[in-house]
Amino acid sequence: MNDPNEQAVLSEVPRQTFELEECGFREVPKKWRKFYRHWEGPGDELGPNEIICPVCKVVIRSKREIRVGDRLYCMPCMSRMIVVLGEDGTLQTDVTY
Amino acid sequence: MADFLNSYSIQRWLELCPQGYLEDTVNGHEAGETEADLILKDDELRTAAIRSTVQLVVGERAALAASSGLVNLAPDYPSKHFLATQTLDEARHVEIFTERLYDLGVKRADLESTIDHFVNPHLVNFAEVLLEKIDSGDFIAGVVGQNIVLEGLAFTVFEMREITNRETNPKFAHTLAGTIADERRHVGFGENRIGSLIKEHPEKKPEVEQMQKDMAFHMLKTLQLSFKHNSETVEKEREAVGEVGAAYFHGIDLSTASSEETEAILANTILSEFKTRLARIGLEYQEPVGV
Repeated sequence: MNDPNEQAVLSEVPRQTFELEECGFREVPKKWRKFYRHWEGPGDELGPNEIICPVCKVVIRSKREIRVGDRLYCMPCMSRMIVVLGEDGTLQTDVTY
Repeated sequence: MADFLNSYSIQRWLELCPQGYLEDTVNGHEAGETEADLILKDDELRTAAIRSTVQLVVGERAALAASSGLVNLAPDYPSKHFLATQTLDEARHVEIFTERLYDLGVKRADLESTIDHFVNPHLVNFAEVLLEKIDSGDFIAGVVGQNIVLEGLAFTVFEMREITNRETNPKFAHTLAGTIADERRHVGFGENRIGSLIKEHPEKKPEVEQMQKDMAFHMLKTLQLSFKHNSETVEKEREAVGEVGAAYFHGIDLSTASSEETEAILANTILSEFKTRLARIGLEYQEPVGV
């Protein structure tokens, strides 16, 4: 996924969608709880619709596959971020101040 | 900036915190929960629990003094409102950890003498560096020291202790879970507010970085002394955790890790987080010398 062309091709593929259920995360009001879960540390594999908030280490979950350029909001720490491609080819986030 | 700060409103705090994850709790844990028998019936473990809880009380007292001082220093009202909610969070933390001391058998009349007896002097030095900045009216240094360095330290320590207490002492683990949720907001505000302020005031960087270097020095000394005093007890606690299964913290099983390994993973995690957080807001981590 380091190849920008590969990314461009990927962006034409319809995004996967996901049904979300609560995972025991109680730190936000009930209607938002399904959008977050606790990160269990290294070894906790993220789904294509999940990304770690770099500020507070909560896993942010989306109803659709997350892609580069998506803008996300982390309610537990109230940070805003944009999804970027990391040097290792994984999806990461840049916090926007 | 105004939009971003509106997220940190008192209304949002009410919805998330007292009406959210703290609803129906008593001193931060579920009603009726008590400290684990394992601790209450073993003098060595009970004393170790008192010693470690004293550090939490002292750290939270520093955070209370710092955040209340920052309310008056904040340059805008949304920041003042958030810091007012943080002040109440920190006061709550002081209260719930003090209540834990009572639950562990400390008499109310002996509270201050117990704190004086067990407090780690390096933790006091750590807090003094921060409070000097606030006393001198430095908002930027104060928020970096409080919401990034001190809260970053607390965040990692609480996270580790919550994991090790989850099975052996659910009451304390629940107390910690609520404070971790609070810390998420505090570090979020710290990074978001200071990230923009540092861009506006790059001339502040050297002074703030020096403060971080001093605080990191005292933080590492605090951990060194803490584990030196407690290495045998840490081993005993480890055995207790091990009896109920693995407890992973950043890839290390704390139920089998030695005291030295536990200290190393804690210090490395805290410093790694410092570096990452500081870099995100445009500051360069300064390595402390002589630790």
